[in-house]
Amino acid sequence: MNNEHGHQHDSTTHGSDSAHVHAVAQAADHGSAHGDDKFTFNKLLDQLGDHHELNIFFGHYEILPVILLDESNNPHVYPNVHAMEDAGVYTMHHPGHGHHIVRTHAAHTEKEACPLTHAGPSWDLSITNFVAYQWIAMILVTILFFIARSRYKKAPMEAPRGIQNVLESLVMYVRDQIVQPNVGTEKRASRLMPFMMSLFFFILTLNLISLLPGAHAATGALPVTMALATCTLIVVNYIAFKDAGVKAWFSHLLGGAPVYIAPIMVPIELVGIITKPFALMIRLFANMTAGHIVLMSLVGLIFFFAQEMGTTVGWGVAPISVLFSVFIYLLELLVAFLQAYIFTMLSAVFVGLALGDHAHDDHHHAEAH
Amino acid sequence: MDAVAFAWLSAGIGLGITVFGVGTGIGRLAAAALEASSRQPENAGDIRTTMIIGAALIEGVALLAGVVCILLAVKNPS
Repeated sequence: MNNEHGHQHDSTTHGSDSAHVHAVAQAADHGSAHGDDKFTFNKLLDQLGDHHELNIFFGHYEILPVILLDESNNPHVYPNVHAMEDAGVYTMHHPGHGHHIVRTHAAHTEKEACPLTHAGPSWDLSITNFVAYQWIAMILVTILFFIARSRYKKAPMEAPRGIQNVLESLVMYVRDQIVQPNVGTEKRASRLMPFMMSLFFFILTLNLISLLPGAHAATGALPVTMALATCTLIVVNYIAFKDAGVKAWFSHLLGGAPVYIAPIMVPIELVGIITKPFALMIRLFANMTAGHIVLMSLVGLIFFFAQEMGTTVGWGVAPISVLFSVFIYLLELLVAFLQAYIFTMLSAVFVGLALGDHAHDDHHHAEAH
Repeated sequence: MDAVAFAWLSAGIGLGITVFGVGTGIGRLAAAALEASSRQPENAGDIRTTMIIGAALIEGVALLAGVVCILLAVKNPS
């Protein structure tokens, strides 16, 4: 029976006043299509998740390619979700909540008897919504920095103007307030700057993109934050290996305790190495997700009251809901900057911690050699 | 009450306790930072930085609890 659901929200472009309203309305829509009229929290989470369409500015655009690998690693490449459904091998399945790609009924009956649950592809390598946002962010940051760079090349001694001003103050802030005080020497700070600035501007741009109408937070997805945190893990340990030395890195595992406590200290310190990036990952994910859940819940209250107590009450609740969500939206604007700052700052702090006493002893090395 | 009702109840209560703890923690942190920077305004910048790191760490633990609460709240009623 499952495959009857087919594709509930098809390629018709949905215009509406606010994309959040639209998403919530759509979430409610999903529910009613399945005999479950209640507007629930699960549907909000589903809306915040990854999609196979580009969601931005009041619409869904099915322009993202779908790349699937089936059980025998044969690639299935389609230009968009609609083409995938037309081809008939895979289809988008919407159970009570959530959505995922499964094999169609037809594709199963060709081979063997139809199983109760339709198997999904073994790998889904599609260019999804979040991947597209990240590419947009990368391109945007690159273009902005190239504009600023060309200005500096043209007039190196003149006062900065326009976008150059914004970037210069942010870059100076990242260097002088975030990286430099935490990693010890100026030399190491300028070595770390490319990484830290990439982190800062990438996260900041993604956070700000997520506040555009209709967009989702790519930094509110665990895989994205996990990749960023993994980069931090690698950089922190690489710098510790390189600057403090392999011996110092291993002696850090003891945590300064006598050797006979090693069986206790080494596992604890090893866990500590993993926990710090893990906390970074959860922090960014949860902060961005929480803000969007609150926003959507506040707008969802309108629909909730309209459903439970009639349209008039829904209209009555609307102004209050909108006021609160504007407030939360402004708070989210602060959080967007704050989270980029915190992620970069903690990465720098972790570099400093991993170096330990070696953070300030560049000149010692110079004297020794 | 069935298991799902218990899950929803515990999500609500858990979030309440989390918010209580975090509110207390960050409140104390901000109070201490404010006091310190009013005594020594010349160190206000350093104090603010340290405060934000501390706040982020407290918030990180809280968000872990929040994620657990979300997982409880979206428990599938099937």
